[in-house]
Amino acid sequence: MKIISVLLVLVASCLSGYMADDEGEPRLLASKNILNQYLVENKDLTVEYKIFNIGGSAAQNVRLEDAGFPEADFQLVAGNVQATWERIAPNTNVSHSVIVRPVSSGYYNFTAAEISYSAGADAKKRQVGYTSSPGEGGIVNFKEFNRRFSPHVVDWCVFAIMTLPSLGIPFLLWWSSKSKYDSKPKRS
Amino acid sequence: MIFESGASGKFVALGDDSMEGEIDGEDDDDEGVVETDDATGDDGEQAVTETEKPEKEEEEEVDTSLKPSQDVDATILFTKPVNTNDLPSGKPVRFLVGFKNNGEKDFTVSSLETSFRYPQDYSFFIQNFTTAVYNQLVEPNKEATFEYGFTPSEAFNSRPFGLSILLNYKDNDGNEYQSAVFNETINVVEPDEGLDGETFFLYLFLVAIVVLLGIGAQQLLTTFGKKHLGKGKAAPKVEMGTQKTDVDYSWLPQETLQEINKSPKGSPRGGSPRKRKSKRGSGEE
Repeated sequence: MKIISVLLVLVASCLSGYMADDEGEPRLLASKNILNQYLVENKDLTVEYKIFNIGGSAAQNVRLEDAGFPEADFQLVAGNVQATWERIAPNTNVSHSVIVRPVSSGYYNFTAAEISYSAGADAKKRQVGYTSSPGEGGIVNFKEFNRRFSPHVVDWCVFAIMTLPSLGIPFLLWWSSKSKYDSKPKRS
Repeated sequence: MIFESGASGKFVALGDDSMEGEIDGEDDDDEGVVETDDATGDDGEQAVTETEKPEKEEEEEVDTSLKPSQDVDATILFTKPVNTNDLPSGKPVRFLVGFKNNGEKDFTVSSLETSFRYPQDYSFFIQNFTTAVYNQLVEPNKEATFEYGFTPSEAFNSRPFGLSILLNYKDNDGNEYQSAVFNETINVVEPDEGLDGETFFLYLFLVAIVVLLGIGAQQLLTTFGKKHLGKGKAAPKVEMGTQKTDVDYSWLPQETLQEINKSPKGSPRGGSPRKRKSKRGSGEE
């Protein structure tokens, strides 16, 4: 009796597990990341979205939309802030990236993008979700960034010119006295 | 001034006696007053802790009994590395936590706590990682993803840990819930790098030592050989002084040379000073 019940439970659990695996709901996890280490005004900024389907079935008509880059603050360089995928199969992932350029410096709160998808072709209701949000990031002033990271070619040129007198005047003095001796032909 | 204001603040915080109120009135007294205040304060605190103890325990029990909500489905996915059993030390670990609201009420995801526990006893904390505060509202039938990353310390190499990831959230009514999205034993392993700087420079150092030894041996052999094989000793060189007169004056300008020739005495051309000295000596005798 006991054995039979245990067997039953086992079979049931196996079945349920199998069923869930076969036609579970799609489940999407979406991340949004900013790949740049320094966010600089008027310089490219790469944003990467990754969508993982960890559910048991494919997600249909997946739509990603990011309203977090308004035109007043960001200039779109490459890519699109809206993306759609017909189908994301279970246990797969897709990625999407956008390159934007911040117009002004200062702190900016990078918020979550929105994704929506339907469980199947016949599903009426669309599931809406949010990606992870990168959070607040400081956008560095272009001048400030250049002061710290540019090769400073102009600065070095100015430095060279400014050091020229202190090196050149002693050299000229030496040269004039040397040429006095050089003008005589050698005896040997 | 600042100290005084601080002290008076203390009085306000602890003082409920009329005595202390009087002391508070006199601003200029210092040490004695503070001491008495401390004494009374200690007494007061002790009394308070004694009475409050049972309350605190109750609170803790409530805290630990935070349960996940029935309407919430929380999942986890490790994105880096994919294999969750072995986490490389010193490398960032990232994971995504999915949160799905199946209920009718709004949920606010407040924070995510990650900690390393002692694997035999999960109530023993080894390391707490920074709590991520999200405070994101998730409406009914919506879902959200949260990303978190941490780096296991290199001091934790090749040891098992209980990794516990707890998601805290609350509903509209202020009820707090907690889901343990991950609560398993993991191993922190040493990342296998092909060639790290340490071993590279170790080998470089060994090669340098070998080369140095070779040069030393060669030096030793040559000197040894010279001593024992080269019997014909070269005559010892003796310093003869500056007797030679073939001095090259070609570098001097013409005027200077003429001047030298004109001058009757010129420079003393007697060779080495010692010889001159001996000549002079013989002349005197």
